[in-house]
Amino acid sequence: MRTPKVRQHPLIIRITHWVNFIALGIMVMSGLQIYNASPVIPIDFDFPKSVTLGGWLQGGRQWHFLGMWLFAINGVVWVVYNILSKHGRMTTIFSKKDFGGLLPMIQYYLRIRKKHPPVRKYNALQKAAYTSVPFIALGAVLTGVSIYWPVQFGWVTRLFGNYDTARLWHFLFMSALVLFVAGHLFMVAISGWNNFTSIITGYKRVEEV
Amino acid sequence: MTPPDKSQNVPGSRRSFIAVLPALFLAGCDWTTGKRTKSALKGFQQFNDWVQQKVFDPGKLATEYADEQLTPEEDFRVNGYDTDEPDMDIPNWVLMVDGLVRSPGDYSMEQISTLPKYVKNLRHCCVEGWSMVPKWGGVLMKDFLAMVGADPNAKYVSVECGDDYYTAWDMASTLHSQTLLAYEAYGKPLGLEHGAPLRVVMPVKLGYKSAKWITRLTVTNEKPGGYWEDRGYDWFAGL
Repeated sequence: MRTPKVRQHPLIIRITHWVNFIALGIMVMSGLQIYNASPVIPIDFDFPKSVTLGGWLQGGRQWHFLGMWLFAINGVVWVVYNILSKHGRMTTIFSKKDFGGLLPMIQYYLRIRKKHPPVRKYNALQKAAYTSVPFIALGAVLTGVSIYWPVQFGWVTRLFGNYDTARLWHFLFMSALVLFVAGHLFMVAISGWNNFTSIITGYKRVEEV
Repeated sequence: MTPPDKSQNVPGSRRSFIAVLPALFLAGCDWTTGKRTKSALKGFQQFNDWVQQKVFDPGKLATEYADEQLTPEEDFRVNGYDTDEPDMDIPNWVLMVDGLVRSPGDYSMEQISTLPKYVKNLRHCCVEGWSMVPKWGGVLMKDFLAMVGADPNAKYVSVECGDDYYTAWDMASTLHSQTLLAYEAYGKPLGLEHGAPLRVVMPVKLGYKSAKWITRLTVTNEKPGGYWEDRGYDWFAGL
């Protein structure tokens, strides 16, 4: 008998997820291409060709300034949907009542607690992660604006110190996003095929309890 | 999240799925530099140029730094691109002005330096990513354009240099109150490697718009190119 399926990810979440996958890939790889023209970290290191995009400085800039629109607009759609929709507020946005769920999940991951606490779609730790990562993305966008338009949006640049320090902050926000993706991929890998396909099909098979 | 269902965990498929991600990127290397991609990116660059022009507010000023915030003079650098310094005949140097101006002709340093002198500590942002804050001294470009009677309703100003360099600007950025014709840096006459005898300092644009060793200004309505612009770099290049 086929196991029953539950609706896990609405279409808009699946679309924005994969658009973000492409946009973030473009932004990080073309960003590393730009980095190579004049490394912001004062060490003798260039990112290898395999992780860069564009082939040369202006090629990287062209990809970066195309990807920025995709990344920013897609991000706004994701955030607005999650705030306005019942689905987002119930399953994804971290709220006051999720504080109580944090400790049991930490205990579960540390193997102190045997049984997975009951959850809808995301547990409290996941909600915390998916609610905080947009702020990191916002930091990446704002530091990006601050070095793309340091005169027109000079007040944004001053939020991060000056042009040079804003450039360093831009690199750090990117690094934080890459770390998030690494953790995300690890969790996806250990959660199995059934969980992974749900971000494509929208549905997830439920196991018999 | 529910605990992983062991029966669904076919290790092979999980591994192959993880391998798909880098494979996608490696496959990407081919089409990302293809002809069609290049022309699409170039087209999108025109859009960003247009956005930059719309966003540009001539009233917005670049930060003018205090002397304590200057880049030390020993770190006053030139771009990483290998350029040969041209032989400038500094005593006989003149700036040729033509195009949509009332008084075209050759202007000597003596004539140019009759204009009010300004000293400003402004950030120079190179397209490569590095930046510096030198102390510039010179005259305002807008004062000079007024002196030669340039048509302020013309669209562009282009510049030619003592080497093979050339570039151009929109009129609004050229008339910006912080755009300088600089003949001094750090209180001393401009060194040859920094564009002596006269260079442009345009803090509202990327560094490659701040031309060195300038020899000719042309006021025009036909959109001019530039050395780097003709090699793919942004035409507007606003900051």
